[in-house]
Amino acid sequence: MPAAEAPAPTAPRCNCRAVEFLESSIGKKIMVALAGLFLCVFLLTHLAGNLILFLGGPAFDRYAQMLESNPLLPLAEGGLVVLFLIHIALAVRARLANMAARPVAYQVYKGKDARTPGSSTMALTGTLVLVFIIIHVATIKFQVGGAKGPDLFGHVTGWFHNPLYAGFYVVALIGVGLHLSHGVQSAFQTLGLNHPRYTPMIKALGAAFAILIALGFLSIPVYFGFIVHAPATPPNGAAMPSGPIGGAQ
Amino acid sequence: MTTNNEAKGMNLTLKIWRQKDARDPGGLVEYKVENVSPEMSFLEMLDVLNEQLVAKGQDAVAFDHDCREGICGMCSLMIDGQAHGPDKAATTCQLHMRRYKDGDTITVEPFRAKAFPVVRDLVVDRSAFDRIQQAGGFVSVNTGNARDANGVLIPHETAEKAMDAAACIGCGACVAACPNASAMLFVGAKVSQYALLPQGQPEREKRALAMRAAMDEEGFGHCTNEYECEAACPKEIKVSNIARLNREYLRATLVSE
Ligand code: HEM
Ligand code: SF4
Ligand code: FES
Repeated sequence: MPAAEAPAPTAPRCNCRAVEFLESSIGKKIMVALAGLFLCVFLLTHLAGNLILFLGGPAFDRYAQMLESNPLLPLAEGGLVVLFLIHIALAVRARLANMAARPVAYQVYKGKDARTPGSSTMALTGTLVLVFIIIHVATIKFQVGGAKGPDLFGHVTGWFHNPLYAGFYVVALIGVGLHLSHGVQSAFQTLGLNHPRYTPMIKALGAAFAILIALGFLSIPVYFGFIVHAPATPPNGAAMPSGPIGGAQ
Repeated sequence: MTTNNEAKGMNLTLKIWRQKDARDPGGLVEYKVENVSPEMSFLEMLDVLNEQLVAKGQDAVAFDHDCREGICGMCSLMIDGQAHGPDKAATTCQLHMRRYKDGDTITVEPFRAKAFPVVRDLVVDRSAFDRIQQAGGFVSVNTGNARDANGVLIPHETAEKAMDAAACIGCGACVAACPNASAMLFVGAKVSQYALLPQGQPEREKRALAMRAAMDEEGFGHCTNEYECEAACPKEIKVSNIARLNREYLRATLVSE
């Protein structure tokens, strides 16, 4: 039976199992899922750090200083970039393959209501998040444009005085929530974790995580953009210990 | 328009995809069928349409069917944008016209995927599934005496899971319903039915690797866990079989030599 012959007729570029895995539909999805879940861990730590904004300028600037003075920061940043590149490159390739897999579209497609708002907009919300990240990193990390505050707190909250900027954050963060509302539980399924007892829990926790991340991050542009316009130097700033870390405590 | 109460016939408008051959671009053509009994199956209704067309000297609409009782996997059709029509856990041949009412318009298209090219009208070539099966969807058994049926113990729950996976009739509705035209539910079912049983163990890794490769080779899409396949499947194959396929493929990649 020639059909059951082991080596595929199309000569593989390399006999290496890792390459075959990364080129395969399932392997690509597993890498997208793994990178996505690691990015979720990053989001959680990033959110925790950012919520320090609510403790006022000195506390936030101390946190920022602590981060920047950590010698491991470039390593973490590099890792983050790699995660994003893996996630985006493989997700985009999978998406292109999926478009090619149905060259003639249905005139009428209704389905049976299995799709969710999150699942059917993954490419859209993913692209929105990418645009957001570029603008976010450019304006906040590299401080392109905007009022250069004397401190990071002033710089960040200063940006949110611009309603267009704060409004874009709101839209993009809703996009992040949608992306995660499908992404988290989807990643577990892709990694092969499906169990009658745990899958309902994973779905519930995935939805809760998406809501937590979206609302947590949303609180920042909403508060500093639309509720209070914090002055660059908060009035209570002088009363708070503001020396470099390792100082007072 | 008055309908005869005794006959209770429905008058329907059908928009049917007509396509001469693989190269013809094809398109929807509108037809009227009159006096359709609610007792008819959907395929019998198409038979009535075809009799009308032939009587008028036109070409009958080509569509696939065989058993007409939901077991062979031959019938297909995307009916108003739903694979096998609106019913849950049913094939097109099990769909009845009592689902519809007088005056309804029904759009009928072929299952669409690059890997399922249209042969003519509503008939698509699903031999891609056969090639995936040939790549690894079997167990090799030595001939000779049949072994004692109780020689290999299998837990009841495991046997049930394997049987549920083996219920797949290879119709392709999962591919048709999938927004990505992915065949993961079909391949997941076929890999699972053997991976779960002792008889499938000797070729376990080879099977997962070969069937994955054959699936991608045919040009099916990547699963993004939309779960439309499970909702469309006439045999209620569960997406847990897709998770098992992901596991089996990952495991085979890591452990096989
Ligand atoms: C903080 C950033 C991000 C996080 C936490 C995240 C998380 C995830 C997770 C967990 C998945 C599910 C993986 C799976 O289904 O196996 C996913 C899928 C996906 N992501 Fe992201 N992602 C992020 C950013 C992006 C960006 C920037 C893009 C694109 C430019 C993107 C595009 C996609 C696509 C196309 C998919 C696959 C869609 C699908 O499976 O339905 N993501 N993401
Ligand atoms: S998994 Fe279900 S929908 Fe897919 S081929 Fe098998 S029976 Fe048909
Ligand atoms: S014709 Fe056999 S399953 Fe429908």
